[in-house]
Amino acid sequence: MLRRAVQELDERLDGTSFLRQSLRKAFPTDWSFLLGEVTLYAFVLLILTGIFLTFFYVASSAPTTYRGPYAPLQGQSVSQAYDSVLRISFEVRSGLVMRQMHHWAALVFMWSMVAHLVRVFFTGAFRKPREITWAIGVALLVGGIAAGFTGYSLPDDLLSGTGLRIIYSAVLSIPFAGTWLAFLFFGGEFPASELIPRLFILHVLLIPLLLLTLLGAHLTLVWHQTHTQHRGPGKTEDTVTGTPVWPRFALKSAAVALFTWAVVALLGGLFQINPIWLYGGFVPYEAPSPAQPDFYAGWLEGILRLWPNWELHLFGHTVGNLFFPAVVLPGIVFTILALWPSLEARVAGDHGVHNFAQRPREAPLRSALGAAGITWFVVLMLAGSNDVLAKYLQVEVDRLNTWLKLFVFVLPPVAGFVTFRICRDLRRKGTRPIRAPSRVTFARTAAGGFEERADPPSASDERAERAADAGPGAP
Amino acid sequence: MSSPAPRRPAERAIGACFALSFLAAVGLIILYAAGGQTQVEGTLLAVALGGIGAGLAVWAKRLMDHLPDETQPRHQPAPTDAELDSAADTMETGLEEIRRRRFLFRMLVAAGAALGFAALFPIRSLGRAPGDSLESTRWTPGARLVTAQGDLVTDATLETDSFITVFPEGSAGSADSQAVLIRVAPGLLRLSPTGMAGAPEGLVAYSKICTHAGCPLGLYLAEEHQLRCPCHQSTFDVLDGAKPVYGPAPKPLPQLPIVVGVDGVLEATGDFDRPVGPSFWDES
Amino acid sequence: MSARTEARVLSRILRVGLLLAIAGQIAWSFRPAPSRADTDQLRQGQRLFEASCSTCHGLNAQGTQNGPTLQGVGPAAVDFMLSTGRMPLSNPGVEPARQRVTFTREQMDAIIAYVASIASGGPAIPDVRPNEGDLPTGAALFLANCAACHGAGASGDSVGGGQIAPPLNPADATQIGEAIRVGPGVMPPFSEHTLSGSDVNAIARYLLWLRDHGDEGGLQLGRVGAVAEGLVAAVVGLGLMLLAIRLTGSKT
Repeated sequence: MLRRAVQELDERLDGTSFLRQSLRKAFPTDWSFLLGEVTLYAFVLLILTGIFLTFFYVASSAPTTYRGPYAPLQGQSVSQAYDSVLRISFEVRSGLVMRQMHHWAALVFMWSMVAHLVRVFFTGAFRKPREITWAIGVALLVGGIAAGFTGYSLPDDLLSGTGLRIIYSAVLSIPFAGTWLAFLFFGGEFPASELIPRLFILHVLLIPLLLLTLLGAHLTLVWHQTHTQHRGPGKTEDTVTGTPVWPRFALKSAAVALFTWAVVALLGGLFQINPIWLYGGFVPYEAPSPAQPDFYAGWLEGILRLWPNWELHLFGHTVGNLFFPAVVLPGIVFTILALWPSLEARVAGDHGVHNFAQRPREAPLRSALGAAGITWFVVLMLAGSNDVLAKYLQVEVDRLNTWLKLFVFVLPPVAGFVTFRICRDLRRKGTRPIRAPSRVTFARTAAGGFEERADPPSASDERAERAADAGPGAP
Repeated sequence: MSSPAPRRPAERAIGACFALSFLAAVGLIILYAAGGQTQVEGTLLAVALGGIGAGLAVWAKRLMDHLPDETQPRHQPAPTDAELDSAADTMETGLEEIRRRRFLFRMLVAAGAALGFAALFPIRSLGRAPGDSLESTRWTPGARLVTAQGDLVTDATLETDSFITVFPEGSAGSADSQAVLIRVAPGLLRLSPTGMAGAPEGLVAYSKICTHAGCPLGLYLAEEHQLRCPCHQSTFDVLDGAKPVYGPAPKPLPQLPIVVGVDGVLEATGDFDRPVGPSFWDES
Repeated sequence: MSARTEARVLSRILRVGLLLAIAGQIAWSFRPAPSRADTDQLRQGQRLFEASCSTCHGLNAQGTQNGPTLQGVGPAAVDFMLSTGRMPLSNPGVEPARQRVTFTREQMDAIIAYVASIASGGPAIPDVRPNEGDLPTGAALFLANCAACHGAGASGDSVGGGQIAPPLNPADATQIGEAIRVGPGVMPPFSEHTLSGSDVNAIARYLLWLRDHGDEGGLQLGRVGAVAEGLVAAVVGLGLMLLAIRLTGSKT
């Protein structure tokens, strides 16, 4: 039966050799390599739950009177968008769990993407020949933030409206074209009625299309270039050792997908997220507190809160306060991130092809800079949450700010320095756990019995190690 | 291939996982038919999904460990120098074929560029021209102050240290005209002479839009006479012309000049003294 | 629950009596000799005031360098401070915050009556009737006037200047009304002109409703919004997934 199907397919598409190869393709299954899969499956779930939501969402800021079951809002004038999200939450059967799963899936999507990025960064898996895959990954990160932010804005509640107002102000601050850009994108002076339909089409069509395209390219490259792998017995630069796709890896991957969805379902059912009925509909002259964006924009919020109250006046024109923290700085951050592989290659003078994943200690400088970067983001995220933090810590929020302003400069270098020292010491000590210890394996002999044998590290392993040691970041 | 050795405990565990998932899925159907309940739905769905996931994971790990890992070559053989040269040559000669007709090539570039430029123009349809709409609001001389509900505001509306959001009559709820009216104890205000003239009886009105990122200034710390933004904590001194005293806001809140009119109803004597909200390039 | 309602009814009766007494203040000089019960209450109030309040507020409630004058603050403010345990302060340096209540209802009423007898003016204790309030009106007014500081979920937030707008869960209807009228600490007061009596009833109704409603989505996560959500997504979401892939994948 199957053979027949394969043959029929081959007569049309010529695909048999590709199919055979693909089914046998070896995937290294180190657990940390599965972070990317979690991200992928969270994205699949976002699309599935998102499709459900589109059937009920109304993309309009035209006013209507709320007549649903949620008592405190009955009879109030709200936008049709807000009204429809309340209907999803309280009237559509299974609507609330779907909506909450969609939002939680977005947060899990972004967290696992960040974790995946961190894994790839610290193991040097972005090095030649995988620079393009990395750059596409950074584009996916930016796209993910854009998808999240537009989605967060669709319910047209008081909190999201405040967020949009901040974006509008940031666009307004751009020199020369800011006013025009703001009026074109937002459809006029904030808040214009064109905005919600535009955000909707961005959120459900343009950005997902972009993400799907990038994701396709990312995965094609991973497939084509094969995975990196950790060093180990029998492993070489030119080969990849792993579990064949069919059936074992496919089953594992399916299990990861189902786990991801199960965790999101659990979050969506048990943990309330974005209770827009408490925030009320968007009103341009009200603001709630605490006012935070979702976590992936938390560091941007932190920059805005800590940035000094500077403003630049040039030849009778004004460069608004938001321009540097909200436009220039994120631009620099993502540009550096996207170009990191070539920057590192240039600094280290290492233009070779690398298929072995590194241990963080093998590139102390990179690891130090990575640790400093993470610390920087964490401090900024704390700054973005400073009012909530101050409430729980029972401290004065302005004094907390003073400390955070200090931390944002001091802690990253400290974290970097400490990381550098740890990496260097680990390497110097001569305990070189870089090489996996020889391990005893059993092999089936031709006679049908078992034979015990120890795998010595191969010569090519050692060469690769030496090359890596002399590689980027070596002091 | 011989069939793998039986692994009873693993098989039993996998079976239990799938059975659990089955039961949860049935429960989900019943729950949906019964009207649904968010927390139970989420939990059952998690069990149904997680059950299959756990079953598959154990299957792959415990019942398939006789399937060996494989080591495969990564690359196709590297191209030879001749192959590289040939590929580069093909591109080069094709390009040369086009470029050779220099005049036509330039015309092509010009036409392409013009078309690309023309294609940008529809972007202009996305919004109206800003003009000077950011420079002014709906406050006009003689506009009476009303609340968000449209009720007139008089000099008796506020007691000392109270505040209220006000709009010009007929534009209640207007985004750019929103203002906060605050009453402070008379004699505390330290404004310029023109500012004082527009702040009778300790009543002073400022734009409610933060000059940092445009959030409405909802927090009034009465004891300190400070307006504070809930978004980024910019803080303005109400007594001293709403100058920023803390946080990222770079400039004071524009003041709305008001007078006490007929029957104590408050009215504006003009628009704000500066454009409201965050700075923009063409701000005069 | 019924005991609390009873206590509330009782205290309301007491307070109505108190209001009458205060009204009588205006006609102080025309009043015949005070009744025995009133003098007993005033004497008890004086004793308590001198023991617990006068160190900072002065023997005649005129204020000292440690504490403000009580002239013009009114019974609502005194009741709010005492019934939420904010006063008496253990030492004058600390910011008043909700504490265990020191006095019994009777003692508080005595202090309120005594303070009213030596310091005039200020808002009276409002008669808040949440049951008569309109829920949607209350929600709208809360979001417009209170949520900017106390948070949309009434869970409180830092407002700067070392101040925290407290969570409103523990407040009863009368305390809500008193805070609105008085504006304790940095909070601005709201008079009858900005929030009418029925507005206050509505806000109180919404806040009491909010205590055990509004969490259809599950655990409320402190009602602090995205900060808690991001943390839960990291700890529960990413945490469980790390565990899952650790068990599914292999270790090299």
